[in-house]
Amino acid sequence: LCSFLFSSWLLQTVPFRGSHWQTSLLAFRASLPMRAQPKKKKKVDVKREQAQKDRMKKKIKKLEKAAPEMIPIEDFITPLKYSDSNRVRSLPPLSFEETERRVLLMKKWSLFKQKQDKAEKKAIQTLTEAQQEALKELRLESEELYQAAIRRDEGLFPFERDGPNYTPPLPDYDPPEGKCVDITKVYTQ
Amino acid sequence: SAAAPRPWRLFGAMCLLRLPRITQSLEKEEEEMAALMEQIELEKSHYSDHEIRKLEEEEELRRRKESAYDDEAPGKTVIMAQDLEDKWEQKLLRFEAAPRITDADKNNNRTSLNRRLDSNLMLLVKQKIGNQELWLLPQVEWQPGETLRSTAERAMAMFLGDHIQAKILGNAPYGIYKYKFPRAIRTEDNVGAKVFFFKAFLQSNDLSQAELKEDYLWVAKDELGDYLKSEYLKKVNRFLLD
Repeated sequence: LCSFLFSSWLLQTVPFRGSHWQTSLLAFRASLPMRAQPKKKKKVDVKREQAQKDRMKKKIKKLEKAAPEMIPIEDFITPLKYSDSNRVRSLPPLSFEETERRVLLMKKWSLFKQKQDKAEKKAIQTLTEAQQEALKELRLESEELYQAAIRRDEGLFPFERDGPNYTPPLPDYDPPEGKCVDITKVYTQ
Repeated sequence: SAAAPRPWRLFGAMCLLRLPRITQSLEKEEEEMAALMEQIELEKSHYSDHEIRKLEEEEELRRRKESAYDDEAPGKTVIMAQDLEDKWEQKLLRFEAAPRITDADKNNNRTSLNRRLDSNLMLLVKQKIGNQELWLLPQVEWQPGETLRSTAERAMAMFLGDHIQAKILGNAPYGIYKYKFPRAIRTEDNVGAKVFFFKAFLQSNDLSQAELKEDYLWVAKDELGDYLKSEYLKKVNRFLLD
């Protein structure tokens, strides 16, 4: 707001081109119609405009200092229609054998995952060892090649690749037409 | 300061990997666990809108059958949730996905890239070393003035042409194979050779533009033993993840 007032103030004093009242930019004071009384309004104007600008700036500062509104996380708020009692699933309670089977399966699963993790870590270990060995041998050969090898490869990252799917792509598949309308609510602070 | 010329000849070799296109099949424990997780998720869930609609419609049907008369005129057609489910089921059955085991698998055509879509395939070429023809990862001798990575790129371009799109994983070699020449050709300043291996991922899907001159094969890690010598195989296996 204050910048608008400032520019309008400026516009009043800058003469517009093509006006029949003045011949040159330098002679503008003489060509404006002069009254006998000298104008004192200018100082008061300046002071008033200054005061207005300060008030504007204070208001803006107050607004900025106020804390921003919290954006609600939609995932954490369960909509009310899902807490109805008729929504609760009615299933028969689990038998003893079933619970036993589940517990034993969980134990087998933890063992399986532990073995898988250990194998992965061992593979990574051999990978790094093989690379270190190769770099050592290279260093023995020539220092210059070694320095070129341990330099960072800038073009490597960011590396993107589409992951594997369940079935390979069909050669002449024509996917059905469809329109996707995005209805996510966007909050601004 | 000029260093004394080393007696080892340097080679750069490229291990070009075609990454898997389909997921690996699940192990027995993984399948059992997946089924259990689905069961638990079903037990802990609530009814969805579609399921509530289905239950209500079943209730209504039952009530209408028990009571002898019809409340509404029989001409009115209402789409039931069960009908929708049947329609979706039919639509699914009509779709045929591409088979996971391709023709190349059945014929065991080892030169094709469409074989064994769930594992990594690497390129092997037949090269003449000394007076033997051996199956090796494509390699070419290092020339002064180039880095080892560009040697490996040259090896790849030599066997597959210039239009190959591959992402080389870094400037550093992944493995090394050192061997001494047989006593007949060994001299003071030509003791043996060191082969440095580099890894790259194949980006382009079809190689119809590639001009493959020599005999080539695309093999998976477990099939490497059929082609490579044991010492070489040992060194190569160290930097290959399954």
